[in-house]
Amino acid sequence: MPWRWQWGAAAATGAALVLTTACGAVEERRTAAMAAALDFERALGARDGGAVCRALAPATREEVAQSAKTTCAKGILDEEVPSADAVPEDVQSVDVNGRQARVVFPADTLFLSLFPGGWKIVAAGCTPRPQRPYRCTLKGG
Amino acid sequence: MTARRFLRDNGLGLAFGTAFVLALIGQAFAGHADFNNQLVADDLQPISVGDYMASSDFAVDVMENWQSEYLQFFLYVFLTVWLVQRGSPESKSLDRIGVESDEDQQVGPHARPDSPRWAAAGGIRLKVYASSLGQAMGAIFVLSWLAQSVTGVSAYNEEQLRQLQAPTSWREYIVSADFWDRTLQNWQSEFIAIASMAILSIYLRQRGSPESKPVGAPHHSTGVEG
Repeated sequence: MPWRWQWGAAAATGAALVLTTACGAVEERRTAAMAAALDFERALGARDGGAVCRALAPATREEVAQSAKTTCAKGILDEEVPSADAVPEDVQSVDVNGRQARVVFPADTLFLSLFPGGWKIVAAGCTPRPQRPYRCTLKGG
Repeated sequence: MTARRFLRDNGLGLAFGTAFVLALIGQAFAGHADFNNQLVADDLQPISVGDYMASSDFAVDVMENWQSEYLQFFLYVFLTVWLVQRGSPESKSLDRIGVESDEDQQVGPHARPDSPRWAAAGGIRLKVYASSLGQAMGAIFVLSWLAQSVTGVSAYNEEQLRQLQAPTSWREYIVSADFWDRTLQNWQSEFIAIASMAILSIYLRQRGSPESKPVGAPHHSTGVEG
């Protein structure tokens, strides 16, 4: 094989490897974001305040505690966040872009972000509004 | 060949290659700091410079500039075959408009012994080789514009999700304001740069630069490089 073809083959293999790795990484993130969303919904359904708060992003957790004037674990159960079904089959869609994600259930939409401890819920109980951000029952700041 | 001679003989490519790498590193650090400022303001986790360099935010900023530069050179290479500018060293002389004769271009039977092999070959190989510079610039332009659209939709959607808004598809993105704003703001700067170079070089000089006419050359002489 002429050396120019060898370089071409090496470049094509490299490009294919980069694409495969990138696609694998996106799929991995989608699965992890969906798992975090399901854990959140299950904890909410089980009324396990501690588990719900552990699934939240720091600023969202802080906001719950501040607005309820108690701990997050106690305050979160008074929030009117709809509890969605918690089986993977009920997930309508998962969108992951970089370190942000949206998981849509029939009864709820969640926004997530990647933190050192994994995917955390930034906003929940969200309903869409045309041309504007979702209106969310639970969100940080 | 000594190292000193190699550096002298390749100074232009090496200087701009080095400047490119340094500017790209600078862009990575400045972009990283800006990106993290936005994440911190949104109460989100800042990222490392390595993660930033692998992000779509960094990639779209790089690609939108690359595509416009390669579009500039693609158009410049192709359009200067047919368009001339009286008095400009950037233009060929007014009587040589078009692809010129085989004799002028030293191709086919007029090729010299040391001409590139494909210039002497004739047929499809000559056809391809005779526009290979423009084709290469055009291909890099198309690929980097495509890369801009792919990385752009990802960066745009990441920001949409950060703002608790719905993400969009690639098809919607390529007709979106964000895509065309990024594209056209780069194109306009390339076009004015070429127009001003073609026109200013009629009247102004840079002694010793091949981009300028000789200092004493008259304003009306066209296609003369210093």
